[in-house]
Formats: sequence, C-alpha cells, structure tokens
Amino acid sequence: MSDDIVKSPYAALRFTLRHCGVRVSTPHSSGFTRLASGAFYFVVSMMTFYEFIMSKRRRFPRSFLYGLTLCILFVLLLPLMPACHGAFAADVNDIIFRGADYHYKGKLNEAIAAFQQAVRLAPDNEFAHNQLGLLYAKKERDGDAFREFSTVVQLDRRNTFALLWTGILYLKQNDMDKAFEAFQEVTSLDPNNADAYYFLGAIYNFRHHPVKAIEYLKKARDADSGEADTHYRLGRAFHRLDMINNAYLEYTRALKLKPAYTKAINEIGWIYYNQGNYQAAIDQWNNALSINPKDTDAISNLAKVYNDMAYVALSQNKTDDAIAFWKATLSVMPGNKAARYYLDSYRR
Amino acid sequence: MERRRFLSLLGKGFLVSSVAGVFPTAAFGKTALDYALEGQNYLQNGDYNKALEALLKAVEIDPQSDWAYGLLGRTYRGLNKNAEAVDAFRKAVRLNPEDVYSRMMIEIITQKPIPRLKSEPEELTPLEITARQEESAMLTSLRSDEGLGYKVNRVVIDPGHGGFDSGALGYSGLKEKDVTLDLAIMLYQRMASQGKIKPFLTRTADYYVPLSDRTAIANQFQADLFLSIHINASKNRNARGSETYYCSEKASNQEAARVASLENAVLKYDKPLTQREGYIDIEEILFRFEQKMNWKESGVFAGSFQQRFREKLPLDNRGVNAANFFVLRRAKMPSILLEIGFISNAEDEERLKGQSFRERVVESIMWGLL
Repeated sequence: MSDDIVKSPYAALRFTLRHCGVRVSTPHSSGFTRLASGAFYFVVSMMTFYEFIMSKRRRFPRSFLYGLTLCILFVLLLPLMPACHGAFAADVNDIIFRGADYHYKGKLNEAIAAFQQAVRLAPDNEFAHNQLGLLYAKKERDGDAFREFSTVVQLDRRNTFALLWTGILYLKQNDMDKAFEAFQEVTSLDPNNADAYYFLGAIYNFRHHPVKAIEYLKKARDADSGEADTHYRLGRAFHRLDMINNAYLEYTRALKLKPAYTKAINEIGWIYYNQGNYQAAIDQWNNALSINPKDTDAISNLAKVYNDMAYVALSQNKTDDAIAFWKATLSVMPGNKAARYYLDSYRR
Repeated sequence: MERRRFLSLLGKGFLVSSVAGVFPTAAFGKTALDYALEGQNYLQNGDYNKALEALLKAVEIDPQSDWAYGLLGRTYRGLNKNAEAVDAFRKAVRLNPEDVYSRMMIEIITQKPIPRLKSEPEELTPLEITARQEESAMLTSLRSDEGLGYKVNRVVIDPGHGGFDSGALGYSGLKEKDVTLDLAIMLYQRMASQGKIKPFLTRTADYYVPLSDRTAIANQFQADLFLSIHINASKNRNARGSETYYCSEKASNQEAARVASLENAVLKYDKPLTQREGYIDIEEILFRFEQKMNWKESGVFAGSFQQRFREKLPLDNRGVNAANFFVLRRAKMPSILLEIGFISNAEDEERLKGQSFRERVVESIMWGLL
C-alpha cells in the first residue's frame, strides 16, 4: 500500500533534507530516480548515436540520416513518457504537500491557492477538498467551505471529516436539526468518532436534556479522554442532575488537561458553595481571577457571595463583618450598587 | 605450530561468540539510528513486517525519535493498521510539531473511520469509585426524553427590585418590590408543591440584589429558565396591560430598544468577541449557537406566557417585545422578563393589590410553563 501522496522529486529532496544526516534514499525518491535514470540513458544513447552518425555520414545521403535520427529520437523518448506522466501526477501530491505546509504555518492565502490548484488537477482528491473547505471556513467563507465539504461527501459518503464539518457549518447557521443529523450520520459510520459524540452531547446539553447529554459525552470521553471541553460539558450535564461527585470528577479532569480552564474552576466554586464550603468556593473564584482578571463569571460569583455573606452577618448584628464583606464585593466589582449603598448606610 | 594457532583461533572464536550470545547489543552495538535505517530500507522495499520489527526496536531504544515514529507510522499504514499508524504519526508530531508529513498523514487517515486502539484499564481513584456508585444509583432511575425539545426542570424566579430599590410606585402607595416578591413566593410555593419543577428564588425578603447577582444565582443552580417578575409603570396614567420581554439581538420596536439601552448603560463588562484570523474556535461557535438557541427559546416562552396572560387575566395584551438586554444576555439559559400590569394605572394597581388576582397571575405563569 502506498502513502497516497508525495512521490515527486521535489518532495524527495525535501524529505532527505528534513532528515539530513540520513544518507539513504526514501520511498519518496522513486519518481526522482525514475527521471534521473531515464535522462542518463537518454543522454548516453544520444551520444552513441551521434558517434555512429559522424562515422557513417559520408556513406548515406543526408535525408536518410535526418529521417533515421527522428525515428531513433522517437523510439528513445517513448520509454520516458510514463516517467513524464508520473512526474505530472507527482506534482499534484507535491502541491498538496506544499499546501499543507502553508496551512500549518498559517499562510492561509498561499495554502488556498495551492489547494485550489490541486483540486483543479485532481478533482477527486478528498484531502485537498477537505483542506480547502477548512481554509475557507477559517477565512469565514462558509458558503465556499460548505461546497468543498459537500463535494467530498458526494465523492465518498464515508468521509466523516467532511460530514462532521458540514455539521459544524450547520451549527454556525443555527440549523440545529441538520447539524444533529450530520453528527448522527458520522457516529453511525464511525462509532469511535469522539468529535461527533461531543457535538451531539453539547446539543443535548443546550436543550437541557442532561441524561442524553451524559450518554453522548461519555462516549466522546471514552473515545478520546484528552479533551478538556468534553470533560467540562460532561461535568455540566452531571451538575444539572445534582450528581455532584461525577460533576466534580469531570471538572477536575478538565483542569488536569487545561489548568487555566476557568469555566471548570467557576463551576467547582459553586459545588463548594452549595455544600456550604464558602471559603473553598471563594478560593476557586479568586483562582479564576488570578488566571483571567476579567473573568465576568468569577467576578459576579464573588460579588454575589460576598453580598450574601454580608446580609447574613447583618442579620446576626455583626455590622463590622458585613462592612468587611461589602468592601470585598467592591474590591472585585467596584460598581456593585448593593454593596455601595449598604456600605454608605452602615458607615454612617 | 599450525595446530597451536588453530586452537588459539578456536578459543578466541568461542570467546567472541559467547559474548555475542550473552550481550548481543554490546557485541554488535546497534543504535536506534541503525534500527531506524534498517527499518527504512525494509520499508522502501515493501517488507513491512521486517520494517516494523526494526522500527519498534528503534523507538524502544530512542523514544524521542520523531523520525523513527514517522517511519513507524508509514509502516503501519503499509500494513493497513490505520489506528496504529495514526498513533505513531501523532507521537512523531508531538515530538516534532513541524513534521508536516506526519501531521498531513494523520489528517489523511482520519478523514475516514479507523478502529480504536485498545488501552489498558487504569486503577480507579477513590473519587472515581464514589462517582461510579453515584452514577449507578441515580442515572438508571432517570428517564431520558426523546427529541430535541427544550426541557425545563429548574426555574429561577426573580422578584424585581427590593430593599432600597422600591421599583415603581402606585398612586395609592403600592410598591413594585412588594408585589413582585409576593408573586414570586407564591409561584415558588406552587412549583414546590407540584414537584415537577424545582424552583429557586433570587431573593426571599426585602433586600436589594444587584442585577449581576441575579444571573449568578441562575447559573449557581444550573437553571433551565430565568423568570424575572416586574410591574410596569409609565408617566401616561392610561398605559395599562401586560407585556413580556426577552433577549434578542434586535429590538422588536423603538420602545424596547430604548428600555434595553437604558439597562445596558449600567454595566459594561462584556466585550465583543473577535474572531482570530486563521483560527476556528469551536467553543466560540458552540457558545454563539447556545446563545442563539436560548434567545430563540426565550421568544417561545415569552409568547407562551403572554398567551396565557391574554387568556386568563383581565389585563390588556401589550404583546411580546424583544431587546438586547445585557443582564438577560449573561444568563446561560432562556430568560424572560414579565411585566404584569401597570402600577401607574389606577385600575391595574387596584387589581395588583388583590390576592385573588395575584393567584390568577401565578396560575397563568404555571400554565405558560407547561
């Protein structure tokens, strides 16, 4: 089985350079070898023939020699035809390789140009169409992206990458039913597709169907446990059902993968707070603020909790404590109307 | 003499073969690079099994060789073991993020379904054990609904105003904050007694709760719906009736836009989210999708509540209005603002004072939820 790609001389050189120090030809160099050896034999044959003509030029008429030269040239060039064809085919792969290189380096316009050229030369190349679709999506040319992914789906319905992306584009258009259908089709083709399960789970979460969300997000997690977002959304679904141990477990898994994931930190804060562990909750939200000082959720959570604590202190006639809490509110949210008002009232 | 030399050579040969037998690597000194080169040659000749053998040895000796992992990926690909190939290419890319070829191969292979690699089960932590017990105890008893209809199991009821903020005042002295609190508590009790929906209140007595705290409470309880109860007021004493607001990108009319701009002027925390060139943020797409879905659902709920008010309350129907309310926008669920009558209108104010009317309001809201 071949690699499907990169068989050109150019790519062979690149490959060798990339692994410089290894002086062994790679399978990539087959096209290069074919062309080089063809050219070598062609030149040797032509030199031999030239010697022959020069030695016989007085014995035969000039027109005969011209005719013979043309015939021999044709015969010699015949074996090179497949090599030339091979070199042409290899160019498409080379363009794809170059396009991918541009893409990974963030040179989107160059990558688009390369893949546009590739799909012109090889209209059935699914990878080139998919890359072009992805690049158009990155440039917010969603219509063009959709066309490319649809082309791939028409070429091969089993191309789950293209199907998944049509689903994502439907999400961008807020077409939930079509997006859902696309993701479901992906999972029916590929029962291990973590991304499709993730999107299905996320949609169920948005519709506040936590049981279904858990079912799909668990599948996403089991297919690929390395995504913090999957753990976070699964945590949210458990949290909605008051399954606090599972929610906490998934939030901490998200944080293990992405320690600066403030959304998970904020939710853990609510778990602590709802259990009556106020200081632990405050520590979580302060931690979120140390990561992102503009985290609006952490700010409003802290303000809300400090205000609550102030009301409780006030109801117990602990005015000094209440004042301290309102001050704390204002330290995180200087415009908090309640804290400002009560602080002014009780200071007097 | 010849015999002695022969015996000496024989002895040396025996010694060398013994060392080679016991310490083969010391004898031949093969490095990871040697194995990788050997593997590469086998790969080039299409002998994938021998290539695999050599390359596995190469990565065993040097697990940091992205080149060997790249070759291993190609070998697995040659053996049609796509899951193993992707795994090897991923290791190559992890070790060398600039390995364009391996990265491209991952994308080519994963365009289509590949089998999953089996992984060894890990030992469970105490938290994982507790979580599993919790799951088996709870999840099996919960029924999942079919379809994608929006589900409401938890509602946060928000009585508008409170404390130093009385809200609007009626001509006979009726305060908006008192009416909203009474309605909210009645609604809370009704929901709690029915048991189908779990209610929560943003305030339970006469104190002021800032707007940001109110949505924080909704997020605290993972609510499915945020229901803010208000009573309207106007300088025009003839203005009367009920209306429902919900959050939307575009205001439904000039008045709604004015109300929203007044509200939004208070808080300025949100910043417009900007798209980075060359980067697709899937979470951003999902966030926007969720927000749009919530707004759309808010519109559906708003329509439902207003319909019930029209049917069940002796109030003029002022319809449903949409505007981009900052506070409603920050809630992570559909959010509705109910304006039940005009306290500034003598007739409406008189109704709002009555207990039976309040009960009818609660009844209408309950109907609107169903």
